[in-house]
Amino acid sequence: MPGEQTEIVRVDQVVKDFRPGFGLRRKRVLHGVTFQVHEGEIFGFVGPNGAGKTTTLKILMGLIRPTEGEAKILGRNVAESEFRDQIGFLPENPYFYPYLTAREILDFYARLTGVESAGRAARVEELLELVKLSHAADARLRTFSKGMLQRVGVAQALIHDPAVVFLDEPMSGLDPIGRKDIRDVILSLRDAGKTVFMSTHILPDVEMICDRVAIIVKGAIRHQGPIEEFLSDSDVTSEIVLARLPSEAAEQIESDYKVELRGHGDRIEIRAEHKDVQSLVRGALEAGAELVSVTPHRSSLEDVFLNAVRAGEALV
Amino acid sequence: MNSMLRIYALAANTFREAIRNKLLYALLGFGILMIGSGVLVSTLSYVEVDQILQDVGMGAIRFFSAGIAIFVGIGLIHNEVDRRTIFTILSKPVSRTEFLIGKWAGLTFTVWLELALMGVAFALVSKLAGAPLGVDHALAVLLIGFELMVLVAVATFFSAFTTPMLAALFTVGLWIIGHLSRDLYALGQQSDIASVTRMSEFVFVLMPDFEVFNKTLEAVHGLPIAANEVGFALVYALGYTTCTLIFGSMIFSRRDFK
Repeated sequence: MPGEQTEIVRVDQVVKDFRPGFGLRRKRVLHGVTFQVHEGEIFGFVGPNGAGKTTTLKILMGLIRPTEGEAKILGRNVAESEFRDQIGFLPENPYFYPYLTAREILDFYARLTGVESAGRAARVEELLELVKLSHAADARLRTFSKGMLQRVGVAQALIHDPAVVFLDEPMSGLDPIGRKDIRDVILSLRDAGKTVFMSTHILPDVEMICDRVAIIVKGAIRHQGPIEEFLSDSDVTSEIVLARLPSEAAEQIESDYKVELRGHGDRIEIRAEHKDVQSLVRGALEAGAELVSVTPHRSSLEDVFLNAVRAGEALV
Repeated sequence: MNSMLRIYALAANTFREAIRNKLLYALLGFGILMIGSGVLVSTLSYVEVDQILQDVGMGAIRFFSAGIAIFVGIGLIHNEVDRRTIFTILSKPVSRTEFLIGKWAGLTFTVWLELALMGVAFALVSKLAGAPLGVDHALAVLLIGFELMVLVAVATFFSAFTTPMLAALFTVGLWIIGHLSRDLYALGQQSDIASVTRMSEFVFVLMPDFEVFNKTLEAVHGLPIAANEVGFALVYALGYTTCTLIFGSMIFSRRDFK
């Protein structure tokens, strides 16, 4: 968990416009994106496809320039390149030189990041071990599966032991075992005091490992905060299942509590607000119904996410 | 120092990539074949047999080396962007200028290597045909090496911001103009229209003068190539290459990688 609130990444009112063709018309893909990432936390950057996640990441990596606003990592403007030995980056669907082996590509990236020649070979072996690719160290990358390339991508991002790691869809293309392996790597990075920025749309992974989350929809941040905040705020409904509810009582419940009743045989399902559960159940029992179950519904990040997406679409 | 190590790593990788390009071997093969065909062409004449043999050989070296420099060079940066390998490289402490210089250095080394191979083929053919061979022939090949250095810089410049097709068109165009720029300048000087004269002067300064590196005539006819001519060619090549890479870097640094 984040101990201090030292800012590692600061994105401030970033706007990005693209020219779709040769004309003067511009398309705005980021609308004043603002968020911060703190030291030692795993930050989940969540959004549907085309929301602006990768564009934001590319701005942070200096691959594209913001039209307006400012982005800083470790207090340095992202346009600079000198401080990037403290940053690791895994792009979405990484692609590497197919004629190199896993060992050669990691050696190449180690050279680019200034890893000392004395410890370079050992560091490469360590990373191959970490991503479980030691057995394929001398195989050409053209023979690798998508999942194996993803592991190479993670290894190259960590080869120089960076303080901040940016991962764009790190679980993409991985099987369940691979996903768990990468999750474990990410958690071990946090344990080692690193800061991790993870862009993804796989929400269970975010719920499982992220400390804080920002949801981006249509190029704008809709929600951001600690993951607990997302989940506890949403713990507001219960699902009530009743049997043999008389029709007059059902109509009464519908009008009193403004709820929708769904029936299966003689069973009725009602999704009611948590505060109404007791009185609703009491009334139903008094009317002669039988109580089958009451299940508190703890909304997941997915509900918050879907609401944010719907709200974002409504604004367009 | 770290910057040099990064450029070296990029250049070494560019070399590894370039030597896997089948087009390079096709052009190299045709080049060596053309050098060898000089023996046949020279038999068509009763006079200056050795000169014809070596003229064809030198021409083949220049033409096919330029072909390799242009057609292998123009794809190098485009491929990095197209396959997104540039994302992981530029996210490391590698400036765009270092990236561009690394690409140029790797390709220059590649074309120098194939130039050396063609030079060896030229020497072998000359030796077998009994044609004279001296230091001036080696200097003429060295000057082609300087020309290739500039040509790779021009190809790198165009490939930094445009498509391979356009980069190839522009580079081939510039190579042809570069060999004709002295003639264009001379024509311009003869014009009575002041603006045409000024335009020819402007074009002569802006465009590379590749004839600085063309000492085939001297080498083939046994005329001496002065040391100061070689020195000037080297300084010109370094100066033009540096300016081209600086401008290329300025444009490349402003480019968005979507």
